[in-house]
Amino acid sequence: MRLFALILSLALGLGAAEPVRMVTIPAGAYVPLQRSTKDAPEVRVAAFLLDARPVTNAEFLAFVTAHPKWRRSQVSRLFADSSYLEHWAGDLEPGPTAPAAAPVVRISWFAARAYARSAGKRLPSTAEWELAAAAGYTRPDGKNDEDLNRDLYAWLARPVPAVQRAVASGRPNFHGAYDLHGLVWEWVDDFNTAMVTGESRGDSGLERDLFCGAGSVGAKDTTDYAAFMRQALRSSLKANNTTTALGFRCARDLPR
Amino acid sequence: MSSSHLRLTATLLALAVLLPGRSLLAGDSPASETKAACCQPAPKAACCAAKAEPKPAACCSTATSAEAAAPFTSDSLYQLEAAFTDDTGKAFSLGELRGRPVALNLFFASCGYACPLTVTDLLAIQSGLPAELRSRTAFVLVSFDTARDTTAVLAQYRAQRGLDSNWIILRGSDDAVRELAALVGVKYKQEADGSFAHSNLVTILNAQGEIVHQRQGLKGGLEAAAAALAK
Repeated sequence: MRLFALILSLALGLGAAEPVRMVTIPAGAYVPLQRSTKDAPEVRVAAFLLDARPVTNAEFLAFVTAHPKWRRSQVSRLFADSSYLEHWAGDLEPGPTAPAAAPVVRISWFAARAYARSAGKRLPSTAEWELAAAAGYTRPDGKNDEDLNRDLYAWLARPVPAVQRAVASGRPNFHGAYDLHGLVWEWVDDFNTAMVTGESRGDSGLERDLFCGAGSVGAKDTTDYAAFMRQALRSSLKANNTTTALGFRCARDLPR
Repeated sequence: MSSSHLRLTATLLALAVLLPGRSLLAGDSPASETKAACCQPAPKAACCAAKAEPKPAACCSTATSAEAAAPFTSDSLYQLEAAFTDDTGKAFSLGELRGRPVALNLFFASCGYACPLTVTDLLAIQSGLPAELRSRTAFVLVSFDTARDTTAVLAQYRAQRGLDSNWIILRGSDDAVRELAALVGVKYKQEADGSFAHSNLVTILNAQGEIVHQRQGLKGGLEAAAAALAK
């Protein structure tokens, strides 16, 4: 029967990706890119488990198969905009532009959350994601990891490919996590905490009125260009938005 | 593996290869069959009551508070499957607001600046409405301080601000509040001192729970909000 299952899964294109492994991200401190004057300089992050790679098309296919309300033709516009899974060939057919082992993209925050819930997991917080992604290839703090920075900025300079490569086909970081940089952007659970209201503390009165506690924009590290890009993306997104290079991975608390 | 297994395997493979446009997963999916048999032709109430366990979540998910009614519209916030409780501790589903004009505001009870001003503005809107409209308009406050804004704190808030029974004051899980905030476009973040930085945004919903107007900021906009409630 095992052979039968193997052949069947190969025929369906599900054999291309291993079941996702989770890696432990040790406790650490995340220094927010921007913080309120009332905030502590850094956020302590407890150790947690993170998927070693983004969720794939094959995995998302299994999810929408089991949960019809998240199929492209059935999803509510409230929870996913009109380009949700637009590159898939059909409701249950990722097709040639969405290879089984490539990361699923064009999914909304609501869809990513629903997937994570169905897997008994959750999305990582901004602090968790950034802590995991701060590692270099060979050390926990990748700020000065030349190889990582070279790869990261080379990726940022490249246009989004029409067909994404397979997940986990690059080099893992110090924690054993793949593709935190260099493949797709990723949703975080609290993306809607990113309040970009201006470029300095000199925010206008209007902005202070739009955001209670808006004396909050002072960038700590202005050299981390990639972090600014992530912050800008998060602050520009609505929860039902989908884009060509935005995927996700799941996280979970460590068992106590 | 027996020869019958091999024959079955070969047949399945042939089906997978020879039927372009038809996924084997689709045809064989229990969820797909359930959907076809249960959800599409039948009203939700009948669907949920009639089907044996396990109930498919996608089939019965939005029927909790409005079993007898038609499905929510595709823009209705009431599609959100989130459980809240009011300031008496009673469970509250957003779908219970269907049929009423709603002014929705996310807040936290210990907010010292924007939230009290917004509630004052909402009280002004309420008192300025024509009597008939005032009697059916709901003013909904949802706290994002899920830890500190207990039922008792919210009840105290109602008393302090003199909020009548058309005011519905809700608390929910982190998940529920974050999803509702995401739907209306409210951003919020807890700061180190426990307070919240947050958008100042009042959302007006029509009887279907669709967003028809949003008032941004703290100045002005009361007439437009009141007019949106009257639509």
